[in-house]
Amino acid sequence: MTSVIDIKDYTWKYLHTESPALNNIDLSIEEGSFVGIIGPNGAGKTTLAYSMDGLIPGQYNGIKKGTVNVFGKEVESYNKGELQQVVGVVFSDPEAQFTAMTVEDELVFGMENIGLTIQEIRERLEWVTELTGLTDLLLKPPYEISGGQKQRVALAAVLAMKPKLLILDEPTSMLDPVSRKMIFEVLKKLKTDEDSTIVVIEHSLENLIPLADQMILMADGEIILQENTREFFNNSDLLLEKGVYPPGVLYFFHELHRKGLYQGEYPLTVEQGKNLLQQLVK
Amino acid sequence: MNKTLLGYVPNESPIYAVHPFVKLFFLLIVSLFPMFVTAPDWNIGLMVVIVIFMWISRVNMSTLKIYVPVAISMGTIIFLSYTVLGGTHPEFELLARVAGINFYWERIRDALVVYFRVLPMIFTMVFFLSTSRERDVIVAMRSIKVPFVITYVFAMSLRSAGMVLEDFQIVRQAEKARGFDPAGKSLPYKIRQYVMYMIPLFALSLRRSEEFTNALVARGYAFTGEISKVKRADYILTHYTYKYFDYIFIAMIGLAFVALLVFRYGFGYFQVDQSWLMNLLREVVS
Repeated sequence: MTSVIDIKDYTWKYLHTESPALNNIDLSIEEGSFVGIIGPNGAGKTTLAYSMDGLIPGQYNGIKKGTVNVFGKEVESYNKGELQQVVGVVFSDPEAQFTAMTVEDELVFGMENIGLTIQEIRERLEWVTELTGLTDLLLKPPYEISGGQKQRVALAAVLAMKPKLLILDEPTSMLDPVSRKMIFEVLKKLKTDEDSTIVVIEHSLENLIPLADQMILMADGEIILQENTREFFNNSDLLLEKGVYPPGVLYFFHELHRKGLYQGEYPLTVEQGKNLLQQLVK
Repeated sequence: MNKTLLGYVPNESPIYAVHPFVKLFFLLIVSLFPMFVTAPDWNIGLMVVIVIFMWISRVNMSTLKIYVPVAISMGTIIFLSYTVLGGTHPEFELLARVAGINFYWERIRDALVVYFRVLPMIFTMVFFLSTSRERDVIVAMRSIKVPFVITYVFAMSLRSAGMVLEDFQIVRQAEKARGFDPAGKSLPYKIRQYVMYMIPLFALSLRRSEEFTNALVARGYAFTGEISKVKRADYILTHYTYKYFDYIFIAMIGLAFVALLVFRYGFGYFQVDQSWLMNLLREVVS
């Protein structure tokens, strides 16, 4: 598989700060993979996301060392707007991402920016509104809809541009559990139907784990752990040490493991946990 | 009734069948009418016509009361400027002298003329805001080929204004939650304490502008460079087409304006000395 993101010895320090936000990052993300990034606040997750989309160093002042290659090209060598045609970013605050007066205008804005024709826009609009369940909201102002709907609009606006790489920076941090689930339902469809490369920075692990092929733990501007999802959570002691609490089912089996009552792999979902527990009881 | 960033618009209205450009054209042209009319009778007539249009458009008249303080304060300022602050004019007809202030007929007349010129302009604007959603304004501008960047900056300022108002509410609620509530306090106190609102609001605005810029960049928009030269499809405009009645309305508004100019400069109509209302008023005050 080819790498879509290739980061080597990357350090980024914002201007007028004492320590770097990212320190010696080495990261490779393969095409078609679903990567979850977790870590405490201030770990550098958002800075990493911005670095992959060219917002850093484009929009921020700071000192950069190392290389950030996206689709085989250093981010700084892309022309204005060129990188955003292949990398889409969804931010945590949906309200702050809206640039238009109706949901439809919002969805269309990005597509017009990249020069799509009216026919292409119409087709993609139909596809993306169906995928995200926004068909009935097209004429509403984005500031009048619910938080969950807002985030789906923000996601749909980026999806409509059909980026090859989609980065979501805490997309559900402001949402209720039902809305969170709906966002992850959309991501699941993208993973299975579209085979997209997706990077999600998220605290809501119970939704993220079933989808993620690979997990990354960040702390203090560094990548502490990078493994496939199952192996990643076998390091639960390290996660707990870094202030990351695994979902209840995982934590439960971790406690069983610590007490010597269970030796196998940890279950990643409630369903897997239920089956494992049934086997143990038998 | 729907709340927009510009005011309130009806849920359903026959005016929504009209192309947004017609509404913008109405605003731009009809606002000019009072500039060529000095007789208040005609300007009052224009206001009545606009009120009828509002009624036909199903504008909720009760929401219009928010404009009453504007009309009153504007009238007061105009009246005071022309009378109390109008100076001494021995050539004018003195009606009364109160506390050393001269009240001349000509100054009162001029104040009324100015006031009844400005009022229809406000009525026209209110009509436009009460029947146009934000998108209509953008569509109207784009349909007359106003450059995208200008319409977009306009849309962004509308959006930003809305966001600042929302942020203001958040800050106010946060201050209230901490025990700061200026309700019932004196005006000077309120003004002094407004700093407490302004500082967090300013900080929030800075953060918002950063997020907004990031959102624009993330959506592939740039004001300069190759990407800014991409031909935009202007998809929204595909929802709007000119119908035969749009052309009729445009022609009617245009013809009305031409007729006004012809009657004004060709036949000397709409002059203040022909005003029945002003003549009546003069008889009363004299």
